[in-house]
Amino acid sequence: MAKKEFSFNDSLLKIEEILRNIESGELDVDKLSAEVKKASELIKLCQKKLRTTEEEINSIFRDLS
Amino acid sequence: MQGRFSLSELQVIIRDSLYLALPDFYWVIGEISEIKQNYSGHCYLELIEKQTDEIKIKARIRAVIWGSRYGFIKSFFENATGETLKEGLKVLLKGKIEYHELYGLSLVITDIDPSFTLGEMAARRMQIIRRLEDEGVFGMNRELEIPLVPQRVAVISSRTAAGYSDFMDQLRTNNYGYVYYTALFDAVMQGSETEQSIINAMNRIASSAEMFDVVVIIRGGGSQTDLSWFDNYNIAYYVTQFPLPVITGIGHEKDLSVTDMVACKPLKTPTAVANFLVECINTTENHLIEMGTDIKTLTLGVLDEFKERLDRSKNIISPLTRIMISDFRKSLSDVSIEILNLGKDKIHRARLIIANHKSKLESESKSLNSNKDVYIESLKSGIITKTRDLLKRNREKVFTMGTSLNILNPENILKRGYTITSLNGRILKDSELISIDDTIETKFSDGKISSKVTGKYDKK
Repeated sequence: MAKKEFSFNDSLLKIEEILRNIESGELDVDKLSAEVKKASELIKLCQKKLRTTEEEINSIFRDLS
Repeated sequence: MQGRFSLSELQVIIRDSLYLALPDFYWVIGEISEIKQNYSGHCYLELIEKQTDEIKIKARIRAVIWGSRYGFIKSFFENATGETLKEGLKVLLKGKIEYHELYGLSLVITDIDPSFTLGEMAARRMQIIRRLEDEGVFGMNRELEIPLVPQRVAVISSRTAAGYSDFMDQLRTNNYGYVYYTALFDAVMQGSETEQSIINAMNRIASSAEMFDVVVIIRGGGSQTDLSWFDNYNIAYYVTQFPLPVITGIGHEKDLSVTDMVACKPLKTPTAVANFLVECINTTENHLIEMGTDIKTLTLGVLDEFKERLDRSKNIISPLTRIMISDFRKSLSDVSIEILNLGKDKIHRARLIIANHKSKLESESKSLNSNKDVYIESLKSGIITKTRDLLKRNREKVFTMGTSLNILNPENILKRGYTITSLNGRILKDSELISIDDTIETKFSDGKISSKVTGKYDKK
């Protein structure tokens, strides 16, 4: 469930991929800005995920214990 | 009286015999099967020796550690082994048999050798470890990877344990504001129920394992730990087989239990486990931030490089362009001069041609004008002479025609002796039209006659 939603690991992989692409110099300038924007959005999303409580998970956990 | 004793006499004999037969002190090996401390501080135990099957009891004896000694023995043992004196432990005790007429036989303990128990424990633990290794499961949980973000935590602990609340506090108040989702699976963490209680908790977690990132087994805080409950084959086996990484914080400063050994990440205390979970996420976040910084630096670098390339091209292009432009300008001015000269030449020539044409035209039109006058004059005189000639010729023609007409006038012809013959009013020019007996009419200048044809003759 919720597989289609935000995935931390996928985001990390994507950011790493973008980083590698920029490092390798294979990105042309036209794509560069879009990719950098994407990476920064993913980083923000990841950081948000670490600090924002999801009530849904909380309630599932209350039921489990 | 031989063969008959009073009860007290018998007891004295037994006591004396025992004292005579045994040394003052000796070391006894036994397993504690019962232990309790009474209100006065004395500790009463029952020691047993099991048969090789480890179930049936071969021997049993009561023992006591007097209160004056118990404090020392207890702390000495605990400090040395990390274990409390408890049921199931094998111990090596120094003491002597005392026999009391009223209370009977009892082993009075004055000392303990913790190294024996340690050796026993180690041997037992080695046995469990070897078994797990033989089954090929020992390292299985340790091979699992702790997720980059261990946010969803299944906690096996006792709700009332100080260690549990330490753990929760530490997670909640982490310095970075990370959110953790925890579910407590309440279990008994020491005593004979520990094994079954922990296995039950693990079974419950396993049934919704996909909900969790890690399992944490914690206890401790406060009293001296009781590690040997986790030197347990079944608990250790469950940990090895668990689908999620297990982190332990069952608290022992000196040694690891078998459960710790097989766990993915053994830590000493619940607080250490909480700190570890925070550290995991922090490491991941730092990696994220680092990547962000790298991306920024690299992007700026790439942009700088592009700018530099651009500048370089500009520097090359600019002088080139200047040269090209001046070249172009020069050739342009050359061309324009050429064109100008050419134009001048053409204009000059055109002017000459025009002038030429003009003078030609002027002279031609002049001569044309004078010619015209002559021509008109000649035309005039021509017309006059021609008209005169024409008139003259016509006059002569009219005159000739008048004479001809005179000659041709039939009256004049008749006068000259000619006649006109006609038949039925028609003038006859051909003799063949006349037949014999036709009456013909002959006109003369002064009258006419009619005559009958009597014969016809050819000209020949």
